[in-house]
Amino acid sequence: MLDLDEISKKVYETQVWRSIFRHSPWKDAPRDRMRHIVDNIWLHLHPARIRPRAVKVSYSWGLGGISFMLYLILTVTGVLLMFYYRPTVELAYQDMKDLEFVVTLGKFLRNAHRWSAHAMVLIVILHMVRVFLTGAYKKPREFNWGIGVLLLTITLFLSFTGYLLPWDQLAIWAVTVGTNMAGATPFMGNEGPFSGLLGMRVNNDVRFVLLGGTTVGASTLIRFYVLHCVLVPLVAGALMIVHFWRVRKDSFSAAPLEADEEKLDVWPHLIVREYLAAALTILAIFLWSVLQNAPLEELANATVTPNPSKAPWYFVGLQELLVYFDPWIAGVIIPNVIIVGLVAMPFIDVNPKGVGYYSLRERPLANTMFLSGIFLWFLLIFIGYFCRGPNWGWYWPWESWLAHKPLPPPTWDLPAWAGASLMIFYMAFGMAAPRLIGGEISWSRAIGAFVALFLLAVGGLKIFTALAAAKLLMLGFFIFIFFLLGFLFPQRYLKGLDLARYALTMSLILMMLGVLLKIGLRLGFDIKYVLSLPQFNFNI
Amino acid sequence: MRKLFYISNFGILGVFLLAIGLDHKREWKKHQRGYYEMEAARLEEELKSAGDEAERKSIQSQIRSFRRRPLEIKQIITPDLGRVDRCVTCHVGMDEFTNPSLSNPFAEHPFKAHPKSIAKSHSFQQYGCVACHAGQGLATTAEAAHGQVEHWEEPLLKAPYLEAACAKCHGNFESLSETKTAALGKKLFEKHGCIGCHAVNGRGGVISVDLGDIADKPLARIDFSKSGLDRKDWNIKNWIETHLTKDPMELVPNDPEGHLGEPISPSGMPPFAGEINAAQAQAITTYLLTMSKQPLPHTYYVPGAPAKERSSGDPAKRGQMVFEKYGCAGCHGLGGAAGRRNFNALADKQTRMEDGRVPSLVRVVGTYSPEELKKKIQEGVPSSAISKFKPEGPTPPLYMPGWSEKIKGPELDDLASYLFSVADQDSGGW
Repeated sequence: MLDLDEISKKVYETQVWRSIFRHSPWKDAPRDRMRHIVDNIWLHLHPARIRPRAVKVSYSWGLGGISFMLYLILTVTGVLLMFYYRPTVELAYQDMKDLEFVVTLGKFLRNAHRWSAHAMVLIVILHMVRVFLTGAYKKPREFNWGIGVLLLTITLFLSFTGYLLPWDQLAIWAVTVGTNMAGATPFMGNEGPFSGLLGMRVNNDVRFVLLGGTTVGASTLIRFYVLHCVLVPLVAGALMIVHFWRVRKDSFSAAPLEADEEKLDVWPHLIVREYLAAALTILAIFLWSVLQNAPLEELANATVTPNPSKAPWYFVGLQELLVYFDPWIAGVIIPNVIIVGLVAMPFIDVNPKGVGYYSLRERPLANTMFLSGIFLWFLLIFIGYFCRGPNWGWYWPWESWLAHKPLPPPTWDLPAWAGASLMIFYMAFGMAAPRLIGGEISWSRAIGAFVALFLLAVGGLKIFTALAAAKLLMLGFFIFIFFLLGFLFPQRYLKGLDLARYALTMSLILMMLGVLLKIGLRLGFDIKYVLSLPQFNFNI
Repeated sequence: MRKLFYISNFGILGVFLLAIGLDHKREWKKHQRGYYEMEAARLEEELKSAGDEAERKSIQSQIRSFRRRPLEIKQIITPDLGRVDRCVTCHVGMDEFTNPSLSNPFAEHPFKAHPKSIAKSHSFQQYGCVACHAGQGLATTAEAAHGQVEHWEEPLLKAPYLEAACAKCHGNFESLSETKTAALGKKLFEKHGCIGCHAVNGRGGVISVDLGDIADKPLARIDFSKSGLDRKDWNIKNWIETHLTKDPMELVPNDPEGHLGEPISPSGMPPFAGEINAAQAQAITTYLLTMSKQPLPHTYYVPGAPAKERSSGDPAKRGQMVFEKYGCAGCHGLGGAAGRRNFNALADKQTRMEDGRVPSLVRVVGTYSPEELKKKIQEGVPSSAISKFKPEGPTPPLYMPGWSEKIKGPELDDLASYLFSVADQDSGGW
């Protein structure tokens, strides 16, 4: 009979084993568990012992770890794909076909890379939501939250640069849509406001730098290839190191210490969960890759524009915003405000409660506003991805794009004076009202105020136009949302804040609700722009 | 947790093995193996009747070689076309290395050999397969390779449409026995006056699109929804052919009632289905499929003899040639007898916009003096000058272009003589 214990003992004692692992024979004792972590180059970023609540799956859902695992899958599959892929317009598409039809496991490899990329974007966003909801960005983790936000944008950029590489119709037109937004950058893009000040033209602006030309072409392909395979992964890797290091330094769980808390050994308690998360991730990606093939359309053709051309799904929300705002606002200002707002979040939100656990009750304002923003982001993606057809017209998901639709009703702009006064009123009232109206507002008074507001709006509009029932309903809905999120919540939870933080938070809230209200005005009332100042490209 | 550990680990292993299995079990292997086995069986039959020892040995070694041959992707790389055609992976009978004589007794698809006459003059090493047959040469599954899949716009060309591939290079296709359909198509194209509305590479009418690159038209620009074709049949060949076998008005109905905005008349192309039969429609389609702007190496082209100038002593005969040369029949009908449909143009005994007609030359020419007729031909009738049946309806799609730059001098005189020779005598007293 084979005595496994005897054999392993002998193996552990050989000179070869000891030279590699430095261990004395493994015994399941606290000291050895500790040494498993600290003596191991790959594992020593973990502490040796950890608080039990940091290990709970229902606390972190393993989302950060899964993101990293997806990054590893993407690295491995990506490097393998690089063996087959040649980044030139003559060959790239042919190489896609070769992967599908000739290369051993080529289709599987490409599917795994594609689906991991989509999954990573989604999981990174969910990871951010989780961190927000558990208040884990608060002191002393503000910096790491900022790094995380940067990593999120880098994830999006990585996915976006990879989108071009198959060089099919889907690729070039999605990238054309995405990069056209860069052309609308203020000062730096030739179509943005103040572009004349820096002498920006179509062939020297920031979009030109990104594309290596005035349209998506051969030089764009090589640029995106280098960005996708070398530059951005390196930056992402560097930031990830910082991110992990700070997770370790700032400690794994943010929750307040409890008196009789006994720490757990990381080996095996955390390691086994990490391993399972990673394995299940791989399993999910493999299954997905066997069941569904990555899309590949016709060879890219710069003279045939698909109608509609859509950006990659995670940017379709921004593309949808083009309906409501001037491109430089939709494609540049709004995403930048989102990024800056997220980075600034830990410095604005000084509520000390709700750190390290989920609590709507202790952080009603922060959680409500954040989830509203996330909901709005995905709502826009949903509209853009599922509800938009030819000529960016509205088609319900079950409607055929081949059905010819009547032109949408004509849109109209508010006159400048009315738009300007409405904007000023919105900002001034929105800023001042929650702070100036003191005292606790009871629900009955709140309802009364809402009805009064609603009647005021209906009466005001009645002067101009007869309102149909659907429009009334829509108006009621949007006034309710604004009243609840833009007034009641801040009035109840925000007014105690110092003036600077109050103003900053309130303007972020008003901007977010402003986007929602504008969507309502456009879809319900055909208002193209509330305020249009063409000389500054200022159209909102 | 232990259970999860096993599930995930064995799951990964299982799915990965499944992926390898699926990858290994490729469609083309079945065909290639099948071909080798058929060849081996055929040789075994041969072995029975083989005479001397040397011959037996040679046949036996051939059998062994077929039985042991590894399955592999076979491809023809054509440098001057920049193509990689993998068709011979399944069509092994057409692989010059497996079947150097390019002949075998197999009739079954995909095993049969290529017809020799063509193969002799068109070396596979130079032309590959796709240059003539279209389809997706890079693919290795039947469906994708034959190109009847979404996102592949050039499906396999079957006979007689395949002749289009010949006529692309062979300028002399009208005199070849293999390209009778394409040649007929050209004749019909001229006879029915297509060129009156459609230019070909700039020569011809301006009322509709230039057909010089119609075979390259991107499918993204075509709305097939009214064609009644299955989605898998949405391709340019069927788009052309349905224009001839169906009423184009149904194919491209547009919006004559103005439901979606300004009223737009349906396709102005008259229905030809009553005038040409299915085989003739096929022939015209074949001819039009030659019209591509995709470059071919100049060495591929075979020039044709220049078209013979037709002539006649009779001015009316010469006039008829002018009538055909400029495609007047496209709108005015064969011999100018019956004007074709012009949506919403005012015509006799009209009850619907669809009944609008181009004037019948046979009937109206008699009401003109020769000078008036020539002036009319030279000046044309712009669409704004055509009376509508329904004033708020769409502008009629067909109009008479001014021909002063094209038809003049003796041609104009001849044309007028011809028209008067076919016209009804005016009973009104001219």
